[in-house]
Amino acid sequence: MTETISLRRLLPRVFRGSEHEAPVKDSQLWLHEGVDFRRGEYYVIEAESGTGKSSLCAFIYGSRHDYDGEILFDGVDSRGFGIDRWCELRRRSLAYLPQEMRLFPELTVMENITIKNRLTGFRSEADIRSMLSRLEVDNKADTPAGLLSVGQQQRVAIVRALCQPFDFLLIDEPVSHLDARNNLAVATLIDEEASRLGAAIIATSVGNKISLPKFNLLTL
Amino acid sequence: MAKNTVWRLLRRNISAGQIAGYALANLVGLAIVLTAVQFYRDVTSVWDDEDSFISKDYMILSKRVSGIGSFMGAGDATRFSSDEIADISSQPWARKVGSFSSAAFNVYAKVDFGGASMGTALFLESIPDDFFDVSPEGWDYEPGRSDYVPVILSKDYLSLYNFGFATSRGMPQVSEEVIGMVPLQFSLSGNGRQEWINARIVGFSSRLNTIAVPEEFMQWANHTFSDTPAENPSRLIVMLDRPGDPQAESYLEEHGYETAGDRADNGKAAYFLSLVTSIVIAVGLIISLLAFFILLLSLYLLLQKNREKIHQLMQLGYSPSQVARYYHYIVLSVNGLVLVVALAVMLIASHSWQSSLEALGVEASPAWPTILIGVAIMSLISIGNLVAITRTVRKDF
Repeated sequence: MTETISLRRLLPRVFRGSEHEAPVKDSQLWLHEGVDFRRGEYYVIEAESGTGKSSLCAFIYGSRHDYDGEILFDGVDSRGFGIDRWCELRRRSLAYLPQEMRLFPELTVMENITIKNRLTGFRSEADIRSMLSRLEVDNKADTPAGLLSVGQQQRVAIVRALCQPFDFLLIDEPVSHLDARNNLAVATLIDEEASRLGAAIIATSVGNKISLPKFNLLTL
Repeated sequence: MAKNTVWRLLRRNISAGQIAGYALANLVGLAIVLTAVQFYRDVTSVWDDEDSFISKDYMILSKRVSGIGSFMGAGDATRFSSDEIADISSQPWARKVGSFSSAAFNVYAKVDFGGASMGTALFLESIPDDFFDVSPEGWDYEPGRSDYVPVILSKDYLSLYNFGFATSRGMPQVSEEVIGMVPLQFSLSGNGRQEWINARIVGFSSRLNTIAVPEEFMQWANHTFSDTPAENPSRLIVMLDRPGDPQAESYLEEHGYETAGDRADNGKAAYFLSLVTSIVIAVGLIISLLAFFILLLSLYLLLQKNREKIHQLMQLGYSPSQVARYYHYIVLSVNGLVLVVALAVMLIASHSWQSSLEALGVEASPAWPTILIGVAIMSLISIGNLVAITRTVRKDF
């Protein structure tokens, strides 16, 4: 179980040399000595385009390493984690909704979700169908994901991200393509699941913020 | 269902044509290698079988008898000194060197044919027992306990008698079996003693150009009937590392040594056969190696095309080995199939020359060592493929 994820003087390599210019200068995250994300807390990271919020998610998730500074999992630098450790974290501790969703277009909605769930065995098929129905995409269960609208794909990818136990839920612009009603449905679902697990939510947003009941707002 | 989902994702872009091309190429290479190996083993068994207790890997050495040396009697000139023996032993082609010990006493042999008796003066020699592959029946001798001294005779002597002496004198020709039943008596004398002992011919050798008795007998008799210390041997038997080694031949030439009988020619034939077989096996191995690279390239291409999917699966928490497993499965099934077909080709081919071998009176060699070689080659190829797949997949993590 991971209690805290801490950022120490973190900076994407692409911002090297522009430490004293916007957006790094005004950021509440980049180059700060101690930014701690704790289990049980909700965080919304607000950012303009091109300030590196997707990079931040990828750094934390271990899929990119082009940064300076440190990301500590309970005090341990994640740069030293091996492939096995990352696989374990991605099954048990870190849930991630990438901005581009990364569904397999040739697989159906249900297959896209079970391909994750069979790794963790975390949800029953009934659970999955009920989550799909709460997000109003249950009627698309057998449709290839490539045929869905971006908003529908976002909701399917959220259900897939919830098919595992997690301490931290990283969601990169989860509601950018959703209306207020669907935004609330997504927010309610992930709030329920996160509080049940005592987990943290780290959500990014470029404007359309997810309707979580309470959260710490950070500006990137 | 979910398992098939991953499989459906990963099997995209698999090129059946490339895999079939690989399978065909590797099949040709492996079938050539295995058939050549089995052919070599079957054919060399002809040499092995020709003389049941002296194998082809032996050579009998003597020194050339020069004009002067012969007049001076069986002097030191034709004997091997201990230095010379040590030098031969140290040669890379010589695995083991044994000396012929000759009798240092007088031998007179007598045969009784229903009252009429025939006799002749004789010489005896012995070589260490471990130079015999298989001891003929009754070859053991224990001084004072055995009923008779076993003797091995050169086949040439029997031929000389049967086709030379017997035909010209109108005497009966005898077979090996008959000779074995003839009771012989040896009179051993020297050192002021004389003794009669029974002897029996237990076998014939086409390679051992002498009258051989067990070494235990020779030691006992030399000790009993002679007071002079043992002289240096005039003939050596050498166990070879490889038949027909050109190095050995040039060494013999250089030192003026001679080999007995048709040994050298047989050795040369065996050497050329092994040379030709090596070339054929090398060609087969090169084809297999090229096929291995075809599959490797095809796999790299496949992994490259599916790179995005592989990466996404690992983003979901799939481990590289879980992803690589599907490609391992493809490689192992294709390689397994190729191996089975190549083994079948080898067995069918060896069956086809079996009848010609049987006509020569030779039992074919068992196929299982060749099968093991095939399994070993295929395992190496498969391990190479599997390692390459796993490494490539891990790079996409």
